[in-house]
Amino acid sequence: MSNRNSKYGRKRRSFKMFWLIIAVLTGGGVSGLLNPDWPIVGPLVTSVKTQAIEYKNQNPLGLGSSDVSGGQANPGAYAGTPAQSVSALGPNDKILIATFNIQVFGESKLRKPDAMAVIVEVIRKFDVIAIQEVRAKADDILPRLIAELNADGSRYDFIIGPRLGRSVSKEQYAFVYDTNRIELDSASVGTIGDPGDLLHRAPFIARFRPRTTDPDRAFTFWLVDTHTDPDDVPEEVDALAQVFQVMQTARPDEDDVILLGDLNASEKQLGDIKKIPGIRWVVGGGVMTNTRQNKAYDNIIFCTPATQEFTGRWNVLNFEEEFNLSREEALRVSDHFPVWAEFDVWESPDSVH
Amino acid sequence: MDDQQRWRLELQDSDADVRATAAENLCLAGSDSVAAAVDLVMACDDVEDVQNWAAAALEDLGVPAVDSVNSLEPLVSSSAPLVGYWAATLLGRLGASASCSQEILGKAVSESPHLSVQERAAWALGKIGATEVSVVESLKKAAASSSPRLASLATRALA
Repeated sequence: MSNRNSKYGRKRRSFKMFWLIIAVLTGGGVSGLLNPDWPIVGPLVTSVKTQAIEYKNQNPLGLGSSDVSGGQANPGAYAGTPAQSVSALGPNDKILIATFNIQVFGESKLRKPDAMAVIVEVIRKFDVIAIQEVRAKADDILPRLIAELNADGSRYDFIIGPRLGRSVSKEQYAFVYDTNRIELDSASVGTIGDPGDLLHRAPFIARFRPRTTDPDRAFTFWLVDTHTDPDDVPEEVDALAQVFQVMQTARPDEDDVILLGDLNASEKQLGDIKKIPGIRWVVGGGVMTNTRQNKAYDNIIFCTPATQEFTGRWNVLNFEEEFNLSREEALRVSDHFPVWAEFDVWESPDSVH
Repeated sequence: MDDQQRWRLELQDSDADVRATAAENLCLAGSDSVAAAVDLVMACDDVEDVQNWAAAALEDLGVPAVDSVNSLEPLVSSSAPLVGYWAATLLGRLGASASCSQEILGKAVSESPHLSVQERAAWALGKIGATEVSVVESLKKAAASSSPRLASLATRALA
């Protein structure tokens, strides 16, 4: 396929148009569509604009059941074999994207040096990691994590979402990423609008790309960080199917959507997500993702017709084994293990928009 | 005294750090802490660390014992919204086994000053089933609420 018609060629042209529109909109002080005042920025990000992306209750795209069933049938969980070890990283033209529910990540965990040492070593294995369950009223939890991460000369940064939850016990999502290898599209950060209040904690979204010598050819992608309410899993999973489809069309120049997080649902409980044409998920086939190794709650989900950049390598990082911890020590770190998947840094020219 | 009993007692300690550690230990014990369900609900009216670990413990606790219903019912109307929220949630998880709690939950749907408690009570009635006339009336009013979630949960409970 020629560059003119390739996916990254289209992305480059529409990218320019997108930024032209953004420049016009933000120059006019628009409100509602963009909210440049949202205080979610990490120390190295100078300005973050929130793109308000809303989906409507029940059926945002006007899809009827016949439309859905007319799509490509779900091929089932990704058939690739889990890679043996995350430490056996591929060459530099690959990136590792991960999700990690760091159970009740707040002041008390920061005060546990042994648990923090594991968390830091775990995060350093990945290029960008979606975090769930930051639970604290203080705003310095992520800055302190980043300080520990960067104590060895690393250059990690973060973005964090607002406190979310229907009860007074709130949580925040965050993305932590290695700025040596990953760039944040700082104009494409936000929380999914949820006017029907279908989701306990509406997903936190951000767009990234690997830092490469040829940014126009780099693999760009949305990450959609999610943590469902364990008491409302079927309803929330179906709502996440809507979120996924909205994100697929949120920008004309971006078809790579990666939904990741703690779904509190195994591959058998993915509901309407399974009906999305071409949908794939990495964790399946009896692989467990929690520390007790009896639940498969965490996953990384994307569409393979679009996201051909997935190399087929993924795994659950069992830090209990990796760091030779007792079960109790591992649980002090988290009740979830991270899940990761590997992607090419270059946009696939054969991807279908 | 086993660990579970000791941690439950420590949830009453005067030292907030001891209470937080107890809540964390109960959380890390997962579903083994099911007998501490009521203690953990009450611990949701505490300082932040205790509250966070208690709420995390309750998320993973599963279905509480049927004999906890009598202790959970008065907590639904607690002035602390997180206590009411979790009391209603645990009653809902009990499903038909908590059918005797219908009226208390119906009252929470219509009278709780906290939307989160109203919503969770409506959710719980959806799991338990609403057969009492007064409860059905509360749900019908809630189904017309301007809160989309409360309206949708009440409608679901009436179905």
